[in-house]
Amino acid sequence: MTTASRGGDRTEGEIDLRAEMLAAAHSLNGPASPSGPSTTSDLSIDEELILHSIGWEPVELVCGMSLHAVPMGVWNWGQGEISYASDAYQRSFAKATDRIHRECAKAGGHGVVGVHVEWAVHRHHIDVTLTGTAVRPVGSKRVTAESVFVSDLSGRDFTLLHTAGWAPLGLAAGASFVYAPRRSLGTTMKQKGVNVELTNFTEAMYSARESAMERMQRSALDLGGSGVVEVKVTEGPMDFARHAVCFMAYGTVVHLVADEHQRMQPTVVLPLDDAVLSFDATSLRGS
Amino acid sequence: MDELPGDLPEAAGRRFAEGSFTSGLSVPDFAACLQMGLEPAGYVQGFCVMQWRWYGMGMSFGAFGPTGRANGQGYSEAWQCPHGYVSAEHRGWGQNYEQTWIEDAWREGFSSSYERMLEEARTLGAHGIVGVVDASSPLGDLGLLEFRVQGTAVRVIDGPPPIGDRPWTTYLAGQRLGKLIEAGYAPVSVAAAISSVRVWANCITEYLTEGSTTNWGQVAGAEIEQTAKAHMAVRRIARERVRAALGGDSLHGASLATTERELGQGDAELQCILRGNQVRRFKDFDPLAAPRPTVRLS
Repeated sequence: MTTASRGGDRTEGEIDLRAEMLAAAHSLNGPASPSGPSTTSDLSIDEELILHSIGWEPVELVCGMSLHAVPMGVWNWGQGEISYASDAYQRSFAKATDRIHRECAKAGGHGVVGVHVEWAVHRHHIDVTLTGTAVRPVGSKRVTAESVFVSDLSGRDFTLLHTAGWAPLGLAAGASFVYAPRRSLGTTMKQKGVNVELTNFTEAMYSARESAMERMQRSALDLGGSGVVEVKVTEGPMDFARHAVCFMAYGTVVHLVADEHQRMQPTVVLPLDDAVLSFDATSLRGS
Repeated sequence: MDELPGDLPEAAGRRFAEGSFTSGLSVPDFAACLQMGLEPAGYVQGFCVMQWRWYGMGMSFGAFGPTGRANGQGYSEAWQCPHGYVSAEHRGWGQNYEQTWIEDAWREGFSSSYERMLEEARTLGAHGIVGVVDASSPLGDLGLLEFRVQGTAVRVIDGPPPIGDRPWTTYLAGQRLGKLIEAGYAPVSVAAAISSVRVWANCITEYLTEGSTTNWGQVAGAEIEQTAKAHMAVRRIARERVRAALGGDSLHGASLATTERELGQGDAELQCILRGNQVRRFKDFDPLAAPRPTVRLS
């Protein structure tokens, strides 16, 4: 958690919001935006302010999308990994990332923060959409699409990471789709009507998880990162293929840019906003 | 309030003249508004019900093809069949095009309800509208789409009348609006735009979306390029539309929502709505001091 107060010689308590509001209302009767380029962003005002505190600014709302086909028949019950589906996810993620990189570089951004990762698994295609705000250090020059980073960290988390001497490198993702092996007739009969572990599904889940996590970690290493933060995982069957399980994982790859990790030495605060315990008149009646 | 402007119902005029204010603000937002010198004037709303069906396509079938465009305007991109077949069962070409008539109808519904809300605010002598909420939803199963825009009209204490008697508007209210002002941005207007793109699949798109493998030369597991480009285009058009309306101002707190309606094998209609707050810088930026990390004991 980070907090910040207004810069300069002012403190938070000295801001006269009423005067500021009045100045804002008067400004609307004047000419439109005399200085500065116009920007678009999906960041909250808190995120924008905190980004400015480390010298970064939002530039443009950017996105990337891709969908790859999954051929007919691959969901039919089989053995092992459904590699066509796993590959379709990986390729869609890579292509969507490439597109958001290009949009970011075109807008003059150095990276994208707060990326919303949306994905959908359909019977015959897997879609990945990335949407976020391109950001850059104030007054910086353009960079190429290859050197742009993409991160699903919020503006606040990006700031915290930056302050600690780390930087995001990109998004790493991994997915695996695995068939749950068929049970033998004897096993099926034995398990009928009793609540027991279906080891075929447990094993399929473990197998999918290992492959997906391994792909995500390999993707992080390929980006030159030392780790992945904010990993999000999703697992489960698909509506159209209940005999198969999927496991997906993605997160932001980070690396240390400072000589060493910068210790933050946080201030311990005791908030005085505990929930109010109101007086309960019924307690007077006794039992 | 001497005369009722425009088409505001007479009953609304009487209600506004009663003296008490109404608002859609929560108590913390109400308190924050008072702190900023904003005085609630009334809860204002605008509605518009549009007929919403599949007509008005604005193009004849002769317009399809490599050079065809919807209404001759907007985004359009064609995909040729690589096989060279001429058959009623083989999609010899495909096309993505912008459905400008859908966009025009949405814009009409949104702006009519928005203007009606502004009209109510003007009647109250308001300078702005905070906490705007807008939505559009089908009205029963009648083929109707209802647009509604509502918010709390406010007066800036000792503030100047809005330019052109047009109140400013924002999706923000309370503390968030306070932070916006504190950061040096004045709210100008809510910004909303829609884009609609229709995908008429060519043979390759059709085969890939139905899961066919390599029997027609398409690469199994390849990117469905036509659909991907339509998705990128629908998002780009909505963003360009809002950016064109900004006129040097900025868009803050945007949200981009895309929906897809499947209409057949590979055929789809994509719709993207971008909403946000158009804001204008009224003072030089005063950056925050370096953030101070805290650990909360709770």
